[in-house]
Amino acid sequence: MLRMQIFVGLISLAFFVLTFELIRKRVLREEYAILWLFTSLFIAVLSLWPRMVPLISKITGFYYVTALLLIVTVFLIAMLMHFSTVISRIKDANKELTQRYGLLELRVREMEQNMPS
Amino acid sequence: MPAYNEEHSIGGVVRNIKALGEGYHAIVINDNSNDQTSLIAQQEGAIVIDLPCNLGIGGAVQTGFRYALANEYDVCVQVDGDGQHPTEKVPYLSKTLNEEKYDLVIGSRFVIKTDYDISCMRRIGIQIISLFLWLSTGVSIKDPTSGFRATNRKAMGFFAKDYPQDYPEPQSLIFAHKYRFKVKEVSIEMKNRMHGTSSITSLKAGYYMIKVLLAMFIDLFKKP
Repeated sequence: MLRMQIFVGLISLAFFVLTFELIRKRVLREEYAILWLFTSLFIAVLSLWPRMVPLISKITGFYYVTALLLIVTVFLIAMLMHFSTVISRIKDANKELTQRYGLLELRVREMEQNMPS
Repeated sequence: MPAYNEEHSIGGVVRNIKALGEGYHAIVINDNSNDQTSLIAQQEGAIVIDLPCNLGIGGAVQTGFRYALANEYDVCVQVDGDGQHPTEKVPYLSKTLNEEKYDLVIGSRFVIKTDYDISCMRRIGIQIISLFLWLSTGVSIKDPTSGFRATNRKAMGFFAKDYPQDYPEPQSLIFAHKYRFKVKEVSIEMKNRMHGTSSITSLKAGYYMIKVLLAMFIDLFKKP
């Protein structure tokens, strides 16, 4: 039990450090990082207080590992859906910018041609 | 005129449009081609809008609507840069639009049998899309995939704000129905593609059709 606790604790620590590093290097924006920080925190709580697992089992009625797997899967799917919406939003913004850039560039070119130099 | 890597055909199409005379401007939206499309079109005297990223046909065509709207054009005719559309029919499309007060006029390959060669799979696919359009909106368009079409300022205005990006030709007809456009289809004889290959090959026609139908189905429920 203790060995597993240490193992899970290490995972959460690694996760936390990774998230922190990604924010520090500005690879990850804070708004998304918060989600991952909470995830690592959740794993940490799991390692420090392993009896939470049977407690959750009692509350939810899930007594099997497969059920836990289901929860994790749902969490991951929700995350992916979230990222899909983010990508869609970025694509829309990118389209808007690309179109405006193209139209503006043409205007600049035409203005330059009309300038008496 | 949306164009992506059409350096072999764009020059001829621009020349043909310019040959239509006063009042016709060739506007090429170069969708981040990595060939000489932009240069050749400019040399032929087209107004060229270079997009810094590849947006696909929908985004490119929408840029054209935006330009036409901002520069106060009365009619905007979409023509492929690959030379398959008969540019000499552009005045006919815009005349139909103006005189009969339509918002959108589609130059179609099927209204009367013309000698345009099209693969069997594609024809079946187009017919299924057409059937879906008819069932869902009650609008009968024989060739909903045709990219040879004329729009007035009303349609340009709507499309400049909201234009489908994935399969713009058939999807825009659902949009047109939702915005209550007056749509007309006229028969046009099409040439075979002069250069390049269609974005729809006959092998992929089935897969394309399913994706188009799905996209059109979702469009029916989209909020304006």
